[in-house]
Amino acid sequence: MLADYKEDIYHCLKCGACRTAFQAYTPICPSGFQYGFDSYYAIGRVDLARAVLEDRLAIDAEVMRRIYSCTSCGGCDEQCNPAVGISPLRIIEAFKHQAIEKGLIPPEVRDFLKGLQVHGNPYLEPSDERGRWAEGTPLESYSDQDYLFYVGCVGSYDERGQGLARTVGELLQSGGLSFGILGNREICDGNEANRVGERGLFEFLATHNIELFRELGIRKVVALSPHGFHAMKNDYAKWDAGFEVAHYTQILQAQVRKGSLRPRNRLEVKATFHDPCFLGRHNAEFEAPRFLLKSIPGLELIEMDRNRRNSFCCGGGGGNFFTDMIGSGVRSPSRVRVREAVDTGAEVLAVACPNCRNMLEDAVKAEGLEDRLQVRDVAHLLAQAVGVRDRGHP
Amino acid sequence: MENQTALLKKLKDLVGEAHISTHKADLLPYMRDSYTNLMNREAALPDCVLMPRSTEEIQQIVLLANEYKVPVYPRSFGVNIAGSAIPYQGGIVLDLKAMNQIFEVNEDTLTATIEPGVCWGQLRKAARKKAMDIIPIIGPYQTSPVGNYLLTNITAYSSRYSMDRAVTLEVVLPNGEILRTGSQATEIGAEVNPYFRYSYGPDLTGLFRGSMGNYGIITKMVIRLRPLAEVEKNLYFAFKELKPALKAIQRIERLEISRTVMLQNKHFTVHCLLSPEDLKDPAAKEEALRSLPDFVLAVGIGGKARQAALYEEMLGEEIRSSGGETLSLPDAFKQSLDEVQEGAGQKILRMFAPFSGYAAVIGCVPITSAENVYRRVQEIVAKFDLKDSITDDPLQHELLVVPYDRCSSVYVEQELLYDPLDIDNMEKVKACLRECYKVIVTEYGAVHTIPNRRLLERVVPGYAAILRGIKTMVDPNGILLPGGPYSI
Repeated sequence: MLADYKEDIYHCLKCGACRTAFQAYTPICPSGFQYGFDSYYAIGRVDLARAVLEDRLAIDAEVMRRIYSCTSCGGCDEQCNPAVGISPLRIIEAFKHQAIEKGLIPPEVRDFLKGLQVHGNPYLEPSDERGRWAEGTPLESYSDQDYLFYVGCVGSYDERGQGLARTVGELLQSGGLSFGILGNREICDGNEANRVGERGLFEFLATHNIELFRELGIRKVVALSPHGFHAMKNDYAKWDAGFEVAHYTQILQAQVRKGSLRPRNRLEVKATFHDPCFLGRHNAEFEAPRFLLKSIPGLELIEMDRNRRNSFCCGGGGGNFFTDMIGSGVRSPSRVRVREAVDTGAEVLAVACPNCRNMLEDAVKAEGLEDRLQVRDVAHLLAQAVGVRDRGHP
Repeated sequence: MENQTALLKKLKDLVGEAHISTHKADLLPYMRDSYTNLMNREAALPDCVLMPRSTEEIQQIVLLANEYKVPVYPRSFGVNIAGSAIPYQGGIVLDLKAMNQIFEVNEDTLTATIEPGVCWGQLRKAARKKAMDIIPIIGPYQTSPVGNYLLTNITAYSSRYSMDRAVTLEVVLPNGEILRTGSQATEIGAEVNPYFRYSYGPDLTGLFRGSMGNYGIITKMVIRLRPLAEVEKNLYFAFKELKPALKAIQRIERLEISRTVMLQNKHFTVHCLLSPEDLKDPAAKEEALRSLPDFVLAVGIGGKARQAALYEEMLGEEIRSSGGETLSLPDAFKQSLDEVQEGAGQKILRMFAPFSGYAAVIGCVPITSAENVYRRVQEIVAKFDLKDSITDDPLQHELLVVPYDRCSSVYVEQELLYDPLDIDNMEKVKACLRECYKVIVTEYGAVHTIPNRRLLERVVPGYAAILRGIKTMVDPNGILLPGGPYSI
């Protein structure tokens, strides 16, 4: 609750560092850039938190639109913490939690959570269809392999996510990894529920996963989505999860390094890489995807101004992939990001997250840039270079 | 109420629905800053916040504000820690950060033409693309050349380039007229030659420096840049005492080779070096303080390689003969100090860490008075029994001294830090601050910019009358920034 963060709230300098990336000197807050008013930046949200604590502002759904448009990207923390010592994101997420507790949330968030509660996934799909993405692949169910390949809701139900899950699965298999999948037994990792402040639902999902993994003797997990990776790596620790988790780019990096995956086919292409917030900024993994891209013969990697710790969120975090509280239009972060990618001269915008891929691919269409920029996951590019059958990309 | 509704409709038609808000949640964040916290100043809830996109929109907004007699409170990039852009009487908040274009970076005139929503970091990036840089300022990267530097008089610390970077301005006056200063004053000048400040008589650009925004809304500024040198270097020297360090500044300034000069006591230095987390740890802070000299003199030099080598040698000689010595620092510490020294950095924000509560005592005095000012503030801090918020030991305040214009004057800034949650201590800080300013004015005869309005009226009534006269001329309805501590 907000009262738990009173010290941080009162220690905000109101300096506005949270709005601009140091050294890249460009906007860092996606919702602030989209809407402009301070209430959509951490500087204003912390002030609103203070106003709530001092009974100068009552929480309601309209107020919470300012808070829920936060994508939990952590860009504000990255600027504020080294200089001022505050984590605005923790305050913002406590704000969301307080609104959830009081039931004062916008309908978009309510509907998302309802879907998750009733169906176990935000796509409102039956749980017995969760494993259909793997049909026709040689991927095995988990029994006692070294790793569990956890694909999450996007990998299970979203068409493009399913394609990515299949491609990553085949790459891991080609590289000789011993792993299995859960199919219909898999449930949501809960990261988005946690990010929108529904901590009860998150606890339910997390503890369910932990128990299931324990029951099956799972000691190592490779996650498709940086979102699930983040939750399992960091937030599950609260319940002594007892398993290791890696993102698929980290495992593929190890496989390429030891030579069990050999990218031989040339891809004469200029590519730039978009760091997913939950892989990069939140978990400091910047190099594994870049290593994979650089390992592809012929591929030239160009950096955008905003990269690594100063990467600019695609707008899909903090539940926004499903709730879209951040909104659309020319200033939406995904459209800003694809314009930034095009400006580098890159022909491919590489990603390592199914959410980022969808957000950015849709933005390319909205911007009419289909002739100039393709959004492709690192795994699809690698599959092409390795010569693995790519079941996920046309 | 009818009037308000009509005004809001006109404003919405003018700027578009996406750029106006009347929702309380969008208005509250503009009502508070560190200054209002310390001084318990209450702002009124504004009627609306607007995000205009052009000079013409601002002009129309100002004309409407005059018609409806509604106050206007502009803010440039929106970093506001001195209480200068708070809507004390409600009305219209003008958030100008969407006006963030850099129209030109000119290698021939070494200038840039910017809008008020440009921050120092953005300007630096644009300048560096053309082998130029900003002229260093004491201030973090996300502050604004227009709002923080020009209007509130953030200090520049470069003896080589003197203190003023503004060249010419485009200003929407509070009466709705547009003023262009210097060679921008004519249409052709604005188009082809906005680069000369002193055209057409007295310097009207200077009228806006330190004006705290009272005289108009700056919509465009031509600002000086500097060429990047082949070699740019910051050198650090250690002094055990303040007097010889100040003497060294005088000697260095006479060499006319330094790009920047900044003297700091170890309580300032330690804040630049340690993370906010470490600053909360008394043992970590104590250990760092033990490793630091009492005073650090930072000098920036630049030039061709041969030039820089010679400058370094010459500076070393001056320092040694002044009783100082070269300071060796671990790489990480040096990087932090370099960032502060080069200006527009991030770590300078740590001067307010770990609790972000601060009160700045600033005076500009001859260098021969700097030590006395420091000692007097030390005495006052002791008298008020200010405490360190972590250890509860007597407060050791931060000091930094920067020479202006070949040492005709030095800028002396002293920071009293406090925890905003410690109300009793905060009250003492407030009382201490008042006494410090009284001393600065009555014993040393200079403050840094427009002081608190009451102090201005009491100490320099004649000066105040002239400032008021100008204000009445350009703002007959008193719509711009009324009711604030710096309102004229």
